[in-house]
Amino acid sequence: MPDKPTTDRRSFLKLAGMSTAGAVTVAAGTVAADARESLQKEESGYSETEHVKKVYELARF
Amino acid sequence: MQAFENTASPASENFAGEELVSEEDRLRAQIYRLIAVFLSCPPTQKNLKKVSGIKGDDGEFGRALNSFAKIAGNTNEKAVDTEFHDLFIGVTRGELLPFGSYYQTGFLHEKPLARLRTDMAEMGIERVEGLKEPEDHIASVLEIMAGLIEGTYDRRASLAEQKVFFDRHVNSWASQFFTDLENAGNSVLYSPLGSVGRLFMDIEREAFDMS
Repeated sequence: MPDKPTTDRRSFLKLAGMSTAGAVTVAAGTVAADARESLQKEESGYSETEHVKKVYELARF
Repeated sequence: MQAFENTASPASENFAGEELVSEEDRLRAQIYRLIAVFLSCPPTQKNLKKVSGIKGDDGEFGRALNSFAKIAGNTNEKAVDTEFHDLFIGVTRGELLPFGSYYQTGFLHEKPLARLRTDMAEMGIERVEGLKEPEDHIASVLEIMAGLIEGTYDRRASLAEQKVFFDRHVNSWASQFFTDLENAGNSVLYSPLGSVGRLFMDIEREAFDMS
């Protein structure tokens, strides 16, 4: 793989906002981690989310 | 959320190579997860507070993140729960149906869902037991993108592999969905999240073209 496209892509992503902005990293990272935890806690009782039920209702037609 | 698990290798300890993911890629994965978390179920007060601290840069994408953060800080769990309900659940149906099959064919459970299931099976990804939701929900395909980038499912996917999944299952409809979310009558917090998603899809599309 040539090196240049990778470098361009990385520069582009940085310019587009995918860089430092440490706050984004921290907030987004911890939100995702929390969601994982809460799902694990609910694991045994987790069956259908609200929109799943709705989809099944819609699918009957 | 983590609605999917890897079936290719048991109990994969997959973050071993995490430090090798570049900062840009780690952020991409986190943005995918952030959007997925908010679209999979109504957010908790704790998560609203957390995202209210997000500070984007001066670019268009950063400003969209800032709008989202500002509204997250000014709303509450109960209001967002109502908003989520009106948008995605509703009395007979929500304002939006966030499924790839619906967006691409006008019907749920059509070929795009079948194609996604086939590709997931090949990658060794399946729904966690007990989760009956169709896999082509927007939150699901975004979560899979994050997993491919981070290597949650056995190993990190190459950019070329990420692009294949993105083109087949995300790019084909996600931008339209995010535009609808931005403009939905019931969207308050979800309007700037729609902008974040739409702009992020633009960024991803352009970046993949460079890879």
